[in-house]
Amino acid sequence: MSDQKNADGRRPGGAAFFVAALLAALGCLLLWQGLSIPDKGGYAGIGSGDLPIFIAICLWLLAAAHVWKGMREGSHRLPRQEPLPVLFIVGGLAMQLILLKPLGFSIASGLLFACTAAAFGKRRIHISLPIGIGFALVVYGVFDRLLQLNLPAGVLENLIFGG
Amino acid sequence: MKHTLLGVALAAALAVPAVANDYMIMAPAAPGGGWDGTARAMQEVMQAEGISASVQVQNVPGAGGTVGLAQFASTTSGDASQLIVGGYVMVGAILTNESPVSLADVTPIARLTGEAVGIAVSAASPIQNINELVEMMKADPGSVSWAGGSAGGVDHITVGLLAKAAGIDPTKINYVAFSGGGEALAAILGNQVTVGISGVGEFLPQVEAGTMRMLAVSTAEKWPGTDAPTLMESGYDVNVQNWRMVAAAPGLSDEQKAAVAADIEKLVNSAGWKAMLESKGWANTYLAGADFDAQLAKEIEATTAVLKDIGLVK
Amino acid sequence: MTTFDFLLQGLGTALDPMILLYALIGVTLGTAVGVLPGIGPALTVALLLPVTYGLDPAGSLIMFAGIYYGGMYGGSTTSILLNTPGESASIVTALEGNQMARAGRGGPALATAAIGSFVAGLLATLALAFLAPHIVKLALVFGPREYFALMVLAFVTVSAAFGDSTMKGLTSLFVGLALAVVGIDGLTGQARLSFGVPQLLDGIEVTTLAVAMFAVGEALFVAAQGAGGQEKVHAIKGSVAMTRADWARSWKPWLRGTAIGFPIGAMPAGGADIASFLSYGTEKRMTRHPEEFGHGAIEGVAGPEAANNAAAAGTLVPLLTLGLPTTATAAIMLAGFQQFGLQPGPLLFATAPQLVWGLIASLLIANFMLLVLNLPLIRLWVKLLTIPRPWLYAGILLFATLGTIGVNPSPVELSMLMVFGLMGYFMRLHGYPIAPVVVGLILGPMAEQQLRRALSISQGDWTTLVSTPLSAGLLLVALLALVVPAFLRWRGKGAVLAQIAGDED
Repeated sequence: MSDQKNADGRRPGGAAFFVAALLAALGCLLLWQGLSIPDKGGYAGIGSGDLPIFIAICLWLLAAAHVWKGMREGSHRLPRQEPLPVLFIVGGLAMQLILLKPLGFSIASGLLFACTAAAFGKRRIHISLPIGIGFALVVYGVFDRLLQLNLPAGVLENLIFGG
Repeated sequence: MKHTLLGVALAAALAVPAVANDYMIMAPAAPGGGWDGTARAMQEVMQAEGISASVQVQNVPGAGGTVGLAQFASTTSGDASQLIVGGYVMVGAILTNESPVSLADVTPIARLTGEAVGIAVSAASPIQNINELVEMMKADPGSVSWAGGSAGGVDHITVGLLAKAAGIDPTKINYVAFSGGGEALAAILGNQVTVGISGVGEFLPQVEAGTMRMLAVSTAEKWPGTDAPTLMESGYDVNVQNWRMVAAAPGLSDEQKAAVAADIEKLVNSAGWKAMLESKGWANTYLAGADFDAQLAKEIEATTAVLKDIGLVK
Repeated sequence: MTTFDFLLQGLGTALDPMILLYALIGVTLGTAVGVLPGIGPALTVALLLPVTYGLDPAGSLIMFAGIYYGGMYGGSTTSILLNTPGESASIVTALEGNQMARAGRGGPALATAAIGSFVAGLLATLALAFLAPHIVKLALVFGPREYFALMVLAFVTVSAAFGDSTMKGLTSLFVGLALAVVGIDGLTGQARLSFGVPQLLDGIEVTTLAVAMFAVGEALFVAAQGAGGQEKVHAIKGSVAMTRADWARSWKPWLRGTAIGFPIGAMPAGGADIASFLSYGTEKRMTRHPEEFGHGAIEGVAGPEAANNAAAAGTLVPLLTLGLPTTATAAIMLAGFQQFGLQPGPLLFATAPQLVWGLIASLLIANFMLLVLNLPLIRLWVKLLTIPRPWLYAGILLFATLGTIGVNPSPVELSMLMVFGLMGYFMRLHGYPIAPVVVGLILGPMAEQQLRRALSISQGDWTTLVSTPLSAGLLLVALLALVVPAFLRWRGKGAVLAQIAGDED
């Protein structure tokens, strides 16, 4: 395996075990689902449940490979990650998801826009939020009104573009 | 007309964003099949006849339409601009898939068309008529592979009924499900399967072009456009018609429901719709209101019995 | 009247200045919408189709052709510059194209994509004109077992996108396959891994996964590096135009991509994505610069871009000759054709030659217009990278979610966007390749269904898989592609392989 050139350190040893655990868990889930499906293979001899079982076995093999590799290679250092920007973006997406229906496309997407900008260092929300909402309104106008793509409308959209 | 106006006024009063006249029709099937065709025909005629300013079609394929139905029922409640095309296939699929969502979870508006199910082979096939096919099935049911739509759909049910009527164990049929009409057609044309079963309308252009041969149709009477015998004429007691309907979103007010029904009635009575049915080879079997609701209940009951009979539903 | 006369006549009407203007408007609109990250060609065509209503038939036909080719082409721009493919067919374009863009070679990458698309569009449209009835016969030879063999070949090809660790590549692929199991099994109607959630019965949407893992994952990854640790992305380094060496390395991939893309696009169960995977794998095996793959090899852009455009033209073969729409885009086009009174079907070429040749002439003109429009625009597109990052990524995320919201605004779908975005971030962080996940999601269900159909038809006899020369041949090629490099690596620890790869041409 050519993973030896790990001078920059891309993967800590713990990560291999963590991935292995995830893969094994995913494998268990697939196996459970595969086994609980009554075989309806008919003439093919392969039913709905067989592919999940096959994938589950492969996932376990991969989990075993990860464990083996983690033990052999030990830990590598990961480039420093800043948690705050990630939280900003995920928070922006979550807000858009929750506010899309009640507040409409433009405000929800404007918030996502401002959060993303904040994640990249533009923290002055009184500037980025109006820009985001304005931009989203233009997008709404073009796609919903002009091109008939169905986007959720809210107070702002109804106010500007009419009901 | 009055209902429509009332509906529009009501919608405006409630500040519902979409104008009642705009429609989004869900075709719960892959592009190219019968429901997709129905949805797109509705779209074309409704726009051309000025019944609606803007109609969009959305395809959500899978499992006899239950994927689309479930999505429709869960996402459109109270929205009068949403329509879904469905039909007999969906009735069966809800049962075989043990779908948590049924036609009771939407608002059926009207039956629009009906079509015979056709049984056809590619022109290169040695099979000349339906009786030869049935003899082959009697000798070895597994050797006759059928290409058709979703498992448990009208095509599958028809094959099951034919087997039963011919004295063959219906659970022994070798039915190969394809998700869209297009892919099944390609498999038949390419001689990948023994025989194909699908809506007559999908086979007729091929029969006309001489690439396919129609062996039989499933309705009680001969189908216009083909001289293939009915299954009854050939000695098998099978009478299936694949009807297609349109339903609206769940949770509509009576006014909203009436407005949608009025638009659909306008569609059905338009010259454009008649011309469209003619060109597609569909029969007008329009049925709405209480009559349709009663008929639907009867069909659901009958289908449940049939599916149990042929072993598709426990 | 011969085929050629019909085509000349069609080109004659299409050369009217007004018609040319319509073509220009069509390609401009198509490119403008198609270029937005997260909005693929199917959505572009669906959105813009109504624009063509109300024009006279010739005008609306040509504008439609422009929109179609413009939308097909537009997706590659954001894949290359921003690593945000809006649909499955430009995923492999992003692999090498984005590496090129990071090294300041975005200009040549866009140019090879544009010219490759033009060459492929031209050749494939001509092939459509002259060979359609023959190609479709060939396409019908493909039944379930041949499709299965083709999928196996595609799976082997995917290993070209594994990056430098086979274990990590396989892990990505199997995660994709596991995700592919979610939803209703097409053959029996059995729900799998959907846990009673109706939205999951539909399975996981490829576009959602692709947009989430690429666009959202990329934004998260870049943001998490903070202001300090960022590698500097050069907008332009060296020439914006293709150099002599670029041309020399591009023209063969264009032709090979066309040769792969057109027939695969013509198959009822083929498609532009599979064509682009196969083309990428082929280029990686045939290149004289294997060390550059994964770090910005121009062949890896030229080939797949030609292949997906040729496949787009190939899709028209079953549509026009059989009336079979084989992709979402094709189904929308079918609706478009019907407004021109064109009823695709087996007799179309015989009953409505003027319309067919008008369409083909329109496609040729639109293809040409696309090149005229886009080559000068490359300079402008590359400037996208000079937009300050906060605004650039904020815009990307807005458009990435726009595509999902417009198609299916359910909370489940948007949650998936978020979860898969995080997954994409963690995979990037730990060096797992992204593309195989999406590829697994696309190929998994196809391979499974075709295998089960083939076995059902043969009543469980596995030898059916090698019972035709075509399926046996495809499986043999797949086996050789898998075994030979492994054998050579074992023998010479890679040195021999590099040399062989360098020698063959």
